[in-house]
Amino acid sequence: MTHRPFTVALIIPTGIGAAIGGYAGDALPVARAMAGVCDRLITHPNVLNGAQLYWPIPNAWYVEGYGLDQFAAGHWGLRSIHSNRIGLVMDCGIEPELRMRHLQAADAARATLGLHLTDAVLTDEPLGVTLKTSESGATWGTIANPDSLLRAVEIAIHRAGATAIAVVARFPEQLDDKALTQYRHGQGVDPLAGAEAVISHLVVRTFHVPCAHAPALSPLPLDPHLSPRSAAEELGHTFLPCVLVGLSRAPQFVTAVQQRHDLWRDAVDAVVIPETACGGSAVLSWSKTATPIITVSDNRTTLNVTPETLALQVTRAQSYSEAIGILAAIRAGVAPLALTSQIKPLSWVNLDT
Amino acid sequence: MTTHFITAEVNLNETNADLQAEIAAQLKTQGEPLRWAVTAVNEGVAQVEAVVLQDAETQSVT
Repeated sequence: MTHRPFTVALIIPTGIGAAIGGYAGDALPVARAMAGVCDRLITHPNVLNGAQLYWPIPNAWYVEGYGLDQFAAGHWGLRSIHSNRIGLVMDCGIEPELRMRHLQAADAARATLGLHLTDAVLTDEPLGVTLKTSESGATWGTIANPDSLLRAVEIAIHRAGATAIAVVARFPEQLDDKALTQYRHGQGVDPLAGAEAVISHLVVRTFHVPCAHAPALSPLPLDPHLSPRSAAEELGHTFLPCVLVGLSRAPQFVTAVQQRHDLWRDAVDAVVIPETACGGSAVLSWSKTATPIITVSDNRTTLNVTPETLALQVTRAQSYSEAIGILAAIRAGVAPLALTSQIKPLSWVNLDT
Repeated sequence: MTTHFITAEVNLNETNADLQAEIAAQLKTQGEPLRWAVTAVNEGVAQVEAVVLQDAETQSVT
């Protein structure tokens, strides 16, 4: 008997200081292990991007956050592809030398990894990225010239033939910033993350193509106390390689005509999230379906939006190790409770209520 | 078109089953939602943070 492919969505929102996944691709080990107990793992750039480091997981689907929200809402489907032609869009606010470093990183991905890139496009105005930390502690950001970004992406898609978009925007330097120091030491919230998400969300919302972002920054002075969780971002001149690798096989979004093998949200068998980050669009969408949501309490965040606060029904796991065990049980058709010592005798359905 | 950080509040006790629809409706009064999340819940009120898109026409009335 052939069972349907066991499909899991792993979500760790960016910019909320997740203890695992809030730094430089440090949820990648979780994704690799989880991919070992499912047929398809749907996850997003924040989980898989480790700047110069990446790990091509054959059964992982790299889906940008806005697209993931649409998928979870049942508005968009996902279509697997063999490869994308990646259009590189660069902020003209990036200094010429740093710009060249990114072009060379893209050329390296072509020559060394065999990725397919189109010619690059420069924006006609500086994007003007600004960073913000809100009262909740989450990081957000805005861009001053979104129209310039969209004009450049349009050229990349319609003139250069790109089917996925990698954006490199100049981000403000924060050399003396306390938040940056904390981040480098594996504490606090990624100060760049919220703005990065806004950039890719804007592109995906407008063009319905895979997109991910890498910030352009000057190299930081050596820090002997650098956390291993943040270290992947201090290996070189760019954060671009992981983005290009992820986009190279990212599924396309389906918004209209469907094909037989397109994937829709009802194909997802379980969703795994941090316990205190239940207030995102994708989680709220899945909470309205029969798909089980597994929360992981070890993955603390700066938020405290727990399942109780929004009256969500979830299965709780202390750690990702436990969550992976629960997934293995679900896949095997075993009720997760049967793996514990807490099974109570059956009672009768109450017909009076 | 410009991007703006905004906040909103949704009273969970006054919301029908569809919290998302209520959030979307509240955010739309300030622009086109690009990214949002419930970032706190205090005494039955959900605090929502978001970045929205505003065009020139929207900006003139907000």
